[in-house]
Amino acid sequence: MDRILEILRGIDDSIDYEREEALIDGGLLDSFGVITLVAELEEAFDITIEAAEMTPANFNSAGAIREMVERLQEN
Amino acid sequence: MSYDAVLYIFVFLPVCLAVYQLTPEKSRWKALLIFSLAFHFLLSRGLLLCLIGTSLLTYYTGICLEWLRSEEKLELSGADRTEKRRLKQKYQRRRKRILALGVIILLAILAYLKYYNFFVRSVDLLPGWLSLPLSLEEKQLIMPVGISFYTLQAIGYMADVYWGRISPERDPGRMTLFLSFFPQIMEGPICRYSDTAGTLFKGEPVSYQNLVDGYVRIFWGLFKKKIIADRLAVPVAVIFDNYTEYGGMLIAVGAVAYTIQLYMEFSGCMDIIIGSGRMFGICLPENFRQPFCARSASEFWRRWHITLGTWFKTYIFYPVSMSGIVKRWNQFGRKHLGKYMTQLGVAAAALFPVWVCNGLWHGARWSYIFYGMYYFVLILAGEAVKPLRDKALAAFRIREDAVWLRCVQIARTWVIIFTGELFFRADGLRAGLHMFWSMFEEFGISRLWDGTLFTLGVGRADLAAVAVGCIIVAVVGHMKEKDKNIPQRLAAAPLPVRWGAYYALILAVIIFAAYGDGYQAVDMIYAGF
Repeated sequence: MDRILEILRGIDDSIDYEREEALIDGGLLDSFGVITLVAELEEAFDITIEAAEMTPANFNSAGAIREMVERLQEN
Repeated sequence: MSYDAVLYIFVFLPVCLAVYQLTPEKSRWKALLIFSLAFHFLLSRGLLLCLIGTSLLTYYTGICLEWLRSEEKLELSGADRTEKRRLKQKYQRRRKRILALGVIILLAILAYLKYYNFFVRSVDLLPGWLSLPLSLEEKQLIMPVGISFYTLQAIGYMADVYWGRISPERDPGRMTLFLSFFPQIMEGPICRYSDTAGTLFKGEPVSYQNLVDGYVRIFWGLFKKKIIADRLAVPVAVIFDNYTEYGGMLIAVGAVAYTIQLYMEFSGCMDIIIGSGRMFGICLPENFRQPFCARSASEFWRRWHITLGTWFKTYIFYPVSMSGIVKRWNQFGRKHLGKYMTQLGVAAAALFPVWVCNGLWHGARWSYIFYGMYYFVLILAGEAVKPLRDKALAAFRIREDAVWLRCVQIARTWVIIFTGELFFRADGLRAGLHMFWSMFEEFGISRLWDGTLFTLGVGRADLAAVAVGCIIVAVVGHMKEKDKNIPQRLAAAPLPVRWGAYYALILAVIIFAAYGDGYQAVDMIYAGF
């Protein structure tokens, strides 16, 4: 989780990622932020994120991102 | 029959509502389907077959993708780890081929009907040594109404089934209704199956509240379209059709007037469409969110024609930015070029096809492609200077939410929007460039008050109606921006206040709408795309 929070803060450090639950739905993270995040997650966790994963539900909070990362690591 | 026509609002819609209500709940979607097909037949006649063909192709593609998925599951059970990987790859390839086939067929139909003549004209422009050894002639091609909208919906549906985000529709009739629902067939919004299917097939009974909310929204749309957009259509046509006779301030007035006309017209039609859906209890997605409050070009496109932008983001921007070639660039760039240049490269690679498609989607004209490229360059430039901008704000201790900064950014975005719409409306790229440069010759700001405006086909009363109308729309937009739900507040207001507001809206449309001698019914702009 700490690594995910570190990556997120590297993209935009003005957001309280530990509490925020609507990063995408609330428009806090734009599409450029999302593709930067995906590239960083792939490198940090050695996973491949496919276009099918690009749903707001997977990126709306740090917790949702962690769940997606863990699921992809298991696969 | 357009959405702002009396025939649609006071005949077609009420008849459809009555039949819908009298139909048993389980079959109400069938009533909607029959009316939707009838509506499309009235507009496109025999080309209705094109819509039905698209629906069947979309339906069977979804079924086929699902069948492959269940076959994969069967084979996977009992397979070892290595075998599972091989099977997954095998079925992934098969699903990809099915999806590609469906998408290619749909795009081929759209490309042929919409872009064939543009292609022929463009080939003719090539110099002799580059020309193709083909003898192509332009053809008289007629497009089915709404093909640009329902094709995108169909592709989005197929991709969502392919990605496993939704289960495929099991009834071809329901699939046809999803693509042909009559309030949205001409101008969108471009719906995703997961967003609308629930309410579209539910068969919710007609309720008093939905009827009132629906008709209020429809009249709000008529207010924008009939009072503001249709009035502005006259001076806009005068300036753009005779652009060589005008310059300076009047060209700028034309660009601003066209932008307002387009917004009032398109968002007004969206109000009519969403209001129509509301009467049946169907929630259609919003297409506008106060676009003139945007602080940048990219924010503008998150507020203007939202469903088109979302479609491009979901089905082009993300898939391209996650494609093998872009990922390889990412790995290479991070090692050799640094994070900034790599991300800029990824953004450019993903944005370019989005904006080429955005331009082409609006029509087969070089000026539309230019329009797409204009936003591509501006949005990419915005991303490129963002780190520098952030450093400058920090260095000068300027708060991001400072009011003066917000005003400057909004004003800058307005200039970007007006310039873009100038090229969008101009009769070709050459005319657009001519108009743009002529703005800088003898600007003549005094033309705003020396009576020149009244030579453009509008009188004082027209300008006053437009000005008051724009102020009302701006105030309502400002309230929405402040998170004030106006329909909810009106519904909670005392009866005299509530119905006073409703009657004021209805009377305003009846009294101040642009019709009578000297006015012609103005076609809906986006229905032409």
